Amino acid sequence: MSEDGLLGRLYKNGEIIVEEGTRSRTMYVIQSGKVNVVKNEGGMETILASLGEGDIFGEMSLFDASPRSATVKAIGETRVLVIEHEGLLKKIKMDPTLAFRIIKQMSQRIRDLNSRLSAAQRTINQANNILQQLNKNKDISIEDLDTNLHSE
Amino acid sequence: MVAAKGLILKDGARVAIIGGGPAGSFFSIFASRLAQDLGKSLDVTIYERKTFDKQGAAGCNMCAGVISESLVQSLALEGINLPSSVVQSGIDSYYFHTLNGSIQIKSSRLQQRGIATIFRGGGPLGSHKNAIQSFDEFLLQKSVEDGVTVKHIMVDDINLEGDKPMLYSGGKILQDCDLLVGAFGIKANTAKNFEKLGIGYKIPSTIKATQSEIELGSDWITKRFGHSIHIFLLRIPGVKFVSVIPKGNFITISLLAKEPNINYIKDFLGHPVMKKMLPPGFKAPEKFCHCFPRINISAAKKPFANRLVFIGDASSARLYKDGIGSAYITSKAAVHTALLQGVGEEDFKKHYLPVCKTLNRDNIFGQFLFFLNDLISCVSPLSKSHFKMIQWEQNCLQKDSHYSDILWDMFTGSRFYKDVFLRTLNPWPIIHHWVQLLHLP
Ligand SMILES: Cc1cc2nc3c(=O)[nH]c(=O)nc-3n(C[C@H](O)[C@H](O)[C@H](O)COP(=O)(O)OP(=O)(O)OC[C@H]3O[C@@H](n4cnc5c(N)ncnc54)[C@H](O)[C@@H]3O)c2cc1C
Repeated sequence: MSEDGLLGRLYKNGEIIVEEGTRSRTMYVIQSGKVNVVKNEGGMETILASLGEGDIFGEMSLFDASPRSATVKAIGETRVLVIEHEGLLKKIKMDPTLAFRIIKQMSQRIRDLNSRLSAAQRTINQANNILQQLNKNKDISIEDLDTNLHSE
Repeated sequence: MVAAKGLILKDGARVAIIGGGPAGSFFSIFASRLAQDLGKSLDVTIYERKTFDKQGAAGCNMCAGVISESLVQSLALEGINLPSSVVQSGIDSYYFHTLNGSIQIKSSRLQQRGIATIFRGGGPLGSHKNAIQSFDEFLLQKSVEDGVTVKHIMVDDINLEGDKPMLYSGGKILQDCDLLVGAFGIKANTAKNFEKLGIGYKIPSTIKATQSEIELGSDWITKRFGHSIHIFLLRIPGVKFVSVIPKGNFITISLLAKEPNINYIKDFLGHPVMKKMLPPGFKAPEKFCHCFPRINISAAKKPFANRLVFIGDASSARLYKDGIGSAYITSKAAVHTALLQGVGEEDFKKHYLPVCKTLNRDNIFGQFLFFLNDLISCVSPLSKSHFKMIQWEQNCLQKDSHYSDILWDMFTGSRFYKDVFLRTLNPWPIIHHWVQLLHLP
């Protein structure tokens, strides 16, 4: 692949593109390479999503102007096209359908989150059931032990 | 022709597009996608007389091939990311070469390679076969992916039969249309077929530009021209401006002069300022790929009728800049009208015409800005002080680069001319800069 024909900004492996908590309204479209969207809690890094060529990120701050909700890191050499927010908002005002793809991607992410949430809920329920079963078994075993002791 | 009400595109409607340049492809892509979102199916066919894999003028839609920052971003948001096989060079800056020296301008807003240079056809004569993917071919492929049919046929006659346009080629009927889209650029013969229908359409007026492709090798081009577009304001008699655009092994020289003439290119290559940019001992080849394409300088008259709409160069385009971006804007506006409002004359008048008028009005501001630029370049003290001021901005300032941003937006076409013009009127940065200028050594 010719380096000359690549667009956007180049990030090296592990370099931070967007940092959680910072304020910026820029949006990004991945031209080549991959990124991980990560959240840092109590020193533990959780990967929320992995994105690749053509994917958009940073769109939430474009609409709600809030600080970045997660950190985005380059995985390997990654080129991203930076979308300037002022120009974009002007364009969306002229042609609202330009926001369709962003909205579609956001709704896809909500769907993904919903299914991850229900999967997590299922896992919690299963764990609860197992725990209850274990508790029941424990009570039965203690009762058994008790009757055995008394009979002796 | 009587304006009809209630003309809409029903499920299965037949849409024909004459011209598979950017405007035709954009229309077909966005019409197919919007129809899908609306749960409709459309039968969309593009008629394009050329194939864009040939080298030289025969397979090319002849232009400087700069895809503006604004269009690169819009396309990326539409899911159309330009691949590196199409992009010949990612551009991050402009160089202005004047008799007072050369200066590089970068956008203060985004530091990135945000502008793309492309070839419209299979590459210049003499380039490596199949090494270059044409931008126009890339867009046509995208249309096909969205379910559009592309036929490489020249449409040579159009008639209105009943209330529907009918297309012909070589005396044979091609099809009737529920909507016919004129995306034929400024091809006069095709325009005549529409003008004779008596619908009030008139093609925009044009002037001829001079353009050529010179092979210098990619190593030399990267070293000497970098990832920049070079604008030469050298006061060469008869020449308005020259731009040099790096594209892989070639540079495209695009020149606007009093009349089209290949000798202007030869003179320019021999100019001392340009000579410094060429390899030592460079001699212009006897024969090189060149063309004299037409460029819009006004808008079309009445670019719509019942079941008919004209887009891209055949309708309205921004003056000297971002013609492909204008094709994108007019295509989308026409798609929205046709699918969301209707395809009657009144629908286009109410919903499509205002978008064309916005572009046309903006060009008045563009004309003024280019006049101002000509004036500054011609009057030596003005151009000297202007040059110094921009040099100072680029060297010292990161945040406040008022003049540089104006030049950037004007020459890259990133913002509407009106927006740029209003910024030239802002007195505070002007006063501030003149005061600063007095303190310059
Ligand atoms: C010298 C010059 C430099 C330029 N530089 C730039 C630039 O750097 N960036 C930029 O954005 N714009 C530039 N432009 C403007 C740009 O080229 C046009 O605005 C753009 O091509 C318009 O797209 P279009 O699809 O409307 O028309 P076109 O690109 O002209 O496409 C029309 C298509 O219709 C086809 N056609 C015509 N008649 C028929 C028929 N009867 N049957 C079948 N097919 C038909 C043609 O073959 C052609 O493919 C430049 C123009 C010139 C002249």
